[in-house]
Amino acid sequence: MIRNPNSLRNCVLCALVASACGLMRLQADEPAVTPAGSPPQVGAAATPATEPLSVTIDRLISSNLPDYEKLAAPISNDAEFLRRIYLDLTGAPPTSKQAHEFLADTSAVKRGALIDRLLASPEFPRQLARVLDQILMQRRPAQNVGLAEWKAYLHASCAEQKPWNVLASEILSSDGIDATTRPASRFYLDRGGEVNQITRDIGQVFMGVNLECAQCHDHPHVDDWKQRHYYGLSAFLVRSSLFNEGGKQILQEEAQGEVKFESVFEIRDKVSTGPKTTLPRVFEGPVLLEPKFDFGQEYSRAPAKNVRPIPNFSRRQQLADAVTDPNNRQFRRTIANRLWATMMGRGLVHPLEYDHSDNPPSHPALMDLLAENIASRNYDLKGFIRELALTKTYQRSSQRSPDQLAAPMPEPETFAVAPLRPLMAEQMAWSILQATGVSDNYRVNLGANLTEAKFYEQLQGIEQHFVGLFGGEPGKPAKDFETSIEQTLYLSNDPTIQGWLAPAGVNLTQRLLTLPQQDLPAISNELYLSCLTRPPTAEEVQEVTAYLSDRADSRPAAYQELIWALVTSAEFRFNH
Amino acid sequence: MFCSYACNSAEHSITRRGFLQGLTAGAAGVAGFSGMVGPGAAAELTSSQKHVVVFYLAGGVSQLETWDPKPGTDTGGPFDQIQTSAPGIDISELLPHTAQQMHHLSVIRSINHKEGDHGKGDYIMQTGRRQEPGFVYPYLGSAMAKQLSPADSPLPGYIHVGGGGGKAEAAFLGPKYAPLGLADGGGPANLNRHAALTEVTDLKRRELRNKLSQRFATGRRQAETEVYNQSYDQAAKLMSKKDIFDFKRMTDLDLERYGKHEFGRHCLMARNLIESGVTFVKVNHTNYDTHSENFNFHLEQLGEFDRPFAAFVSDMAARSMLDNVLIIVMSEFGRTPRINPLAGRDHWGNAWSICLGGAGIKRGVAVGKTNANGTAVTDREVDGGHLFHTYYRAVGLDPTKNFYDNQRPVAKADPKASAITEILS
Repeated sequence: MIRNPNSLRNCVLCALVASACGLMRLQADEPAVTPAGSPPQVGAAATPATEPLSVTIDRLISSNLPDYEKLAAPISNDAEFLRRIYLDLTGAPPTSKQAHEFLADTSAVKRGALIDRLLASPEFPRQLARVLDQILMQRRPAQNVGLAEWKAYLHASCAEQKPWNVLASEILSSDGIDATTRPASRFYLDRGGEVNQITRDIGQVFMGVNLECAQCHDHPHVDDWKQRHYYGLSAFLVRSSLFNEGGKQILQEEAQGEVKFESVFEIRDKVSTGPKTTLPRVFEGPVLLEPKFDFGQEYSRAPAKNVRPIPNFSRRQQLADAVTDPNNRQFRRTIANRLWATMMGRGLVHPLEYDHSDNPPSHPALMDLLAENIASRNYDLKGFIRELALTKTYQRSSQRSPDQLAAPMPEPETFAVAPLRPLMAEQMAWSILQATGVSDNYRVNLGANLTEAKFYEQLQGIEQHFVGLFGGEPGKPAKDFETSIEQTLYLSNDPTIQGWLAPAGVNLTQRLLTLPQQDLPAISNELYLSCLTRPPTAEEVQEVTAYLSDRADSRPAAYQELIWALVTSAEFRFNH
Repeated sequence: MFCSYACNSAEHSITRRGFLQGLTAGAAGVAGFSGMVGPGAAAELTSSQKHVVVFYLAGGVSQLETWDPKPGTDTGGPFDQIQTSAPGIDISELLPHTAQQMHHLSVIRSINHKEGDHGKGDYIMQTGRRQEPGFVYPYLGSAMAKQLSPADSPLPGYIHVGGGGGKAEAAFLGPKYAPLGLADGGGPANLNRHAALTEVTDLKRRELRNKLSQRFATGRRQAETEVYNQSYDQAAKLMSKKDIFDFKRMTDLDLERYGKHEFGRHCLMARNLIESGVTFVKVNHTNYDTHSENFNFHLEQLGEFDRPFAAFVSDMAARSMLDNVLIIVMSEFGRTPRINPLAGRDHWGNAWSICLGGAGIKRGVAVGKTNANGTAVTDREVDGGHLFHTYYRAVGLDPTKNFYDNQRPVAKADPKASAITEILS
């Protein structure tokens, strides 16, 4: 069996001629840095043996920008930090009570203590699983593996602190046959088992490379990415395809089948020396040598009608080891960069899937250091995230001080001012539920049975609805912040949202109604702490007071309008 | 090219009575609507904005019973041709009202895209390309919505009256440009203010929202907050225009002219939407897949199509909008000249016609020719690529430029084809 997705006259994917095809060369004038595969430059990041990673990170960030201390935004105040860390580590803002307690705490080490407490909370693995889900599945709809099983698998993996290389290996090894490991096969099965789609996504997700162009020809502008790299990767998968076994789609594999490729441009220009092939190989890594079998001895179960063949040698089973191999530097760089981007709003390598010599990281030594660090801590994602959360870089304010405003805003890649990160769809859902107090009602109702799992179970339908509305396009993660009128109309007029605002149980409107109605500072405080995780300014208390006196006809209605205005404000929409 | 009724085409499964209600009766409201707001320069609707309206005769209308009749030949069938208001252009007698508008319209009689499969023909006609593995080109409606809609327009750029289509049509252009399916029930979801609020209280809370958001932006990066705040302004504008989606707003006089049947109301809605500033409107008319009883079906279907379509063209002319509105009547393919034993015509992409008019199109010309009995193109053979180049030129866009899919250039129209300049004004 020969599969040749490339038997085309012109470049299908580019739909263009060679001269026009391809990614714009990124920062072409920058000097090339360490090419993929060679040892990292650790010299630049040389650190005192006892220096914690977070300190080294701050040093490398600040030393990369002249006048950093002058240009960098001040460290966030407690309220700003509190909201940010809750959103990042639990997926929702704190309750007004939690906010009040943290802000009243006078301990000098309360931030570190909070980080550790949240990392130990049951909400953390839930949130990490959401982040990994988005990275791995890019919001693709469920086709062959149920969403619930997949999410449960990721959640359990995060809860047991499964190292990333182990998780990646499970995902790249599962064929969906064994029920216990079937959820991990969603990466393959919900991409329809389509070899080209899987090849591209393995490149993007696990190795930070976008090999789309290399399917049809060497990348015209990225020297590091050749057509043989694409086919080296797809050679692991070329013998695999979907198979319906007992009503269930699984991934089967045959014993024969080679990749075959030819540059469409060489064909067009009549300079091709004919189709080439390659054995499985991850970039410039070792070529996978396969055992030779005598004719008729290739299978332990030969293919037949409605029979899943079992080859004596599986190429696909070698893929996980090859990708996660310590010599594959891209694997550790990519996860380090992705987690950095999750916490800091932008990758050191940017865009995330363009990690190549001509597009160096904004902080090359730091990128190398983080890649080595995450590998040396055995791909412990939680421990790595903890170090990022402890940095001053993470804890900077998104707002510059008044005396800094005359100078231009530092570029995003300096990490000198915290970015505004749009809440992911799930964070939106849980934030609105928490701010309006719907979450509190569910907690009260669960009473003694309250656990994170039960609580999550009851509200996950709403989470899923928000993913549908705010999650962006399947397979195409949004690069920049996008919003839609559909989303805005939902937040503005949907009866669901209006229902959450109506006074009920211990929700926010009801809590405000139970406060002394003349105590406007207390009312404003509860309103702001619940919605925005901070006390109101004097100006804002005035604003609330004025609004309420304007709407003296109906306090309940006025509270709902105030909550709506806060929950739909830009301050709420972004993790700042 | 014969296709039996057993072939898996949705068009085949519609019963004669069923199609009178149409495919659209149960169409979901607004699933595809997602008008993404990106940073962009403010621009008001201008009178020179170009619009496109596609009348899509699904199933494959017969060119012999419409734009390229061959009466008196072995393939011509029972219907005669009639003179039109465009001297020298005769069309089928099944389109008497359209015939009176032909001085506003033109025809292309030499399409050969060689495709006899519903899905593949549809893809060619709506994207200007043949299907290719692993890549989807944006549909005409999405492409035009992206390129012709004013940056700050709160209106969806691409509306499919009657519903249909989906997010996939926008391909890499993104969901902002996907079709909004407009069923008889109304416009996008959540367009109505919640009953708990009055116009005044809603405005008050919006003003507060805006004030808080502006204050928050001080000293921070503002690109994202601007995009977010803008979406509330646009939502408010769209809410204030919600009447344009209201079928009940149609007047008796208009309904009399367009017809009270579904297609008539859809054509009237198309006119109202275009007048309101919507960039691209698609109206489907179904059940032209006439493998049997071709002549009875065309008599009935074109009888329904003719009057509202003609009313639409004449209204565009009367409102001096023809120069800015490109009108296209297309199908996925035409029908075989050969009449099969069931008095039907089968799928046929090798020599068929479409009708164009309005923006950028010459009035009253016929481009291309088929032979005496319509079995082959004899002059000016064109395919879907040529048509796309022509549509682009007609509305003042350059089809040789690129879109960018994640920084990768994608030619807007097939580089192997070019515009049919004879039909461009």
